[in-house]
Amino acid sequence: MLRRSILKIGAAFALAATFGTVAQAELDGPVNYIIPFGPGGESDISARLQQPYFKDKFGEDLVVSYQPGGGGAVGWASLNGLNGNGQTIMGVNLPHIIIQPAQKAVGFTTEDLNTFYMFHFTPDAIVVAADSPYETLADLVDDAKANPGQVTMSGSGKASANHLAQIKFDKMTGARTTYVPFKGTGASVTALLGNQVKAQWGYTTVGATQGEAVRLLAVAMEERHPLFPDVPTFKELGYDMVGGAYRGIALPNTASAETTKMWSDMIGEINADPAFRQKMLDGGFALLDVNADDMDDFIAARTEEYLADAREAGLIN
Amino acid sequence: MEFGHFLSALTPLNLGLALFGVIAGTVVGSIPGLTATMALAVLVPITFSMEPASALILLGAIYTGAIYGGAYSAILLNTPGTPSAIATTFDGYPMAKRGDGDLAVALACFASVFGGMVGAIALLFLAPPLSKVALAFGPVEYFWLSVFGLSLIASLSDGNLAKGLAGGAFGMILSTVGVAEISADIRLTFGSQVLIGGFGVVGALIGLYCIPVLIDLVAVPDRHLKVEDDVKSVRIGEAYRIAMKSKFNLVRSSVIGTVVGILPGAGGSVAGLVAYSEAKRTAKPGQKFGEGEPDGILATESANNATVGGGFIPTLVLGIPGTPPDAIVLGALLIQGVRTGPSMFSQSGSIVYTFIYGLIIATILMLPAGLLIGRYAYKSIVSIPKAVLVPAVGFMTIIGTFAIHNSVSDVFIMLSLGVFGWVVARFGFKASPIVLGLILGPIAEQGFVQGWTIGAATNNLLGMFFGRPISQGILAFTLITLFLPLFLERKHRKTARKTNQ
Amino acid sequence: MINAPEANSQGQMGSLLVSFFFVIAGVVTLYDTTGYTDRDSQVFPQTVAIILIITASISLVTRFLKPSDEGGFGDGVWWRRCLLIAAMFLACFTMPYLGFLPAGAIAFAGGLIAAMHDRWSVGTVLLYWVSGAVTMVAFFSLFKFVLLVPLP
Repeated sequence: MLRRSILKIGAAFALAATFGTVAQAELDGPVNYIIPFGPGGESDISARLQQPYFKDKFGEDLVVSYQPGGGGAVGWASLNGLNGNGQTIMGVNLPHIIIQPAQKAVGFTTEDLNTFYMFHFTPDAIVVAADSPYETLADLVDDAKANPGQVTMSGSGKASANHLAQIKFDKMTGARTTYVPFKGTGASVTALLGNQVKAQWGYTTVGATQGEAVRLLAVAMEERHPLFPDVPTFKELGYDMVGGAYRGIALPNTASAETTKMWSDMIGEINADPAFRQKMLDGGFALLDVNADDMDDFIAARTEEYLADAREAGLIN
Repeated sequence: MEFGHFLSALTPLNLGLALFGVIAGTVVGSIPGLTATMALAVLVPITFSMEPASALILLGAIYTGAIYGGAYSAILLNTPGTPSAIATTFDGYPMAKRGDGDLAVALACFASVFGGMVGAIALLFLAPPLSKVALAFGPVEYFWLSVFGLSLIASLSDGNLAKGLAGGAFGMILSTVGVAEISADIRLTFGSQVLIGGFGVVGALIGLYCIPVLIDLVAVPDRHLKVEDDVKSVRIGEAYRIAMKSKFNLVRSSVIGTVVGILPGAGGSVAGLVAYSEAKRTAKPGQKFGEGEPDGILATESANNATVGGGFIPTLVLGIPGTPPDAIVLGALLIQGVRTGPSMFSQSGSIVYTFIYGLIIATILMLPAGLLIGRYAYKSIVSIPKAVLVPAVGFMTIIGTFAIHNSVSDVFIMLSLGVFGWVVARFGFKASPIVLGLILGPIAEQGFVQGWTIGAATNNLLGMFFGRPISQGILAFTLITLFLPLFLERKHRKTARKTNQ
Repeated sequence: MINAPEANSQGQMGSLLVSFFFVIAGVVTLYDTTGYTDRDSQVFPQTVAIILIITASISLVTRFLKPSDEGGFGDGVWWRRCLLIAAMFLACFTMPYLGFLPAGAIAFAGGLIAAMHDRWSVGTVLLYWVSGAVTMVAFFSLFKFVLLVPLP
């Protein structure tokens, strides 16, 4: 109790120092952290990694619950109807929250969502099984050029980060691969390991969980991932691809500016914790710090890119 | 695998946690709408402050208890408490109606413990080789597996095949409503946002099975379940004798459950249905499946509890969770600092083995705990006056459905589906084919689309769908299940005619 | 109460209507698939819709050619059925405004009255309503406070 109050006072002082006002928002009991997907995916794992640090720093339980449905849309459509007192937050994912409303009326728009922090992304990566004949990215591209359409690549869903990456990469290389959509990364990895497909459009996280069983050919990052110092970036190989699936957290839009600010600071603080950073990197994630103030610009830039790619691919009209 | 791991699982704390977990899981599982996934998600933060092995034992015990608990409401209220218990309703509810509910509950307990043990032992001794099954199953195999599951419609439709198939097809159409899982469209929502999430299995089960029971209950003054004059306690001895007589059924169903559990895309509901279908196919002349045949309960309940151990095989060996509860356990492992994936068995062996022994202990504890809870569940359901039972169950359906997504529209969908299901069942379109379509539809669709995409890309569509050995095996079983009864009947008729002449 | 000849025609008519409904559902699905952008989302619903139309038509035609009195709503008291369902729907609609417990109480009361076939006595009134209240509060607390479901 004492430690908690000291922390709160500390946080209040910190805020007061930066803004000259005393923040009125504070937590009151356990926080409900809704993941609009089933358990086991990247959204779930990263939320679970935050859980102990949240409890440690702010003294309240972060209770993760799952509300899968409509590829996340059910959760996001319900978000703004929830209580905006700061006791309920929900994970949000890019490109989902941009592509879905562009396709059909799904009950929310990208702007509706009060996204206050993007805390990590899973960089796109091309993954092959350990016994695959593809040793380098060039092997795969050459095979795809020699046998158009014959190189099958699994990925999670359509109009998803994996799918957009596949479309983009095919355009860059001029090769034609076949994208096979699966329900989630787990199913798509299973298909890869079982040799149902020749390669996978996955994330760096696949390399972290599967270890020796798979080989990453390239990752879509600015610099190499610390966990895979031997895996080149697409940029190094001459393809300008940086990106992946971005994940953040949103509050209901009825939340006050103070509450939003408080949450943005809290998640930022967890993100700054060296132990948390290490755990995320070990899991294959890449950290990202887009706070509430920078969110609009970030979303706008992403929206432009995703919609252009999706339109070109015929995924949206 | 040494004995030391077994001893470390046997601490009083771990035993207590296993017992608590089994009891809590059984209660959670018996309430329609409450799932093992939900209970586990709530408990994960509590496990942060525990030893990794103790935390895992608690989570595993809840999971295995919940799968068993689903049988209570399936037997006593015709409403599967978890999707795994769908096939338990086929014979469990008829048994309860004729006054054998206590026997059915005891049978379910024996079968669950047996199946759970088979699954856990497979996990203990055969995990690395069996995990290959998960990888051998490609999209096409999932497609054929779902077709095999759907073939059960033929025997569930009481002689009116056209109606059964129409119900199954309608269920599959319901399964496509909402945002498509692997393709990029939003289907059959007609612009309404209520339907974006589609018809969830848990809500649909409550609507299609439970609401019609309630509607029928209020309409007539008869008692809910027939009660013998002397309300006996759970008929343990009798159940044990029946279970012993059906040893072969138990073993076969448990093996089916273990293998289906290993498949990440299938789960307990499919395992129960496949095992039920096999039990029915090999029925002895006197057995009447669907009218209260004990072997139906034994098959389903042993198979669905076997999936618990089976599901942990790909989870622990490959880092690929078989079911949502497996995924939560995997996440809990991760937070505890255990590296998941292929290296887990070798690097974190002691935690993994303590967990497996914990699961076995929890399964054994389920026998006394399950029989005891079953006795109270049965007694209370038969002794509560109908006037209180109906509204209490009705209230439970509402709160349970709401809890799935914290959404009122789910409750609305559930109630509407319930009324719809009641009306169409009155005219020969039973709920079970619709539910089968709803559950197996997505597996069929995804397997088909993926298989077709890969087959078309490699110019080998025919080989893709008919050339793979496992597919051929499943296809053969499907054809046998569909046509053997017809063939036997014709032969039977012929011989009958001959003797008449 | 429904007398026998009426019940027969009810079975025949209802079966035809339900089969017809399934045919329509198949047609609506086929129509809906024309608006999809992704070929992968079309194949399965189209195939299944065709199966549905064929099988439902078969049951429609056979029933039409061979009328029978199979099916029907059977005996039973309609007002009880309707009261139960109406109360549950009412609870569903009023839940966001009244909160979960009061709305649940509506459903409970409706169900209790609908399912009560015996005569009310002071004892049963008290016993049933009190046990109902206890059940509801118990479940409500379990969900709200143990399982942390945000009930309105």
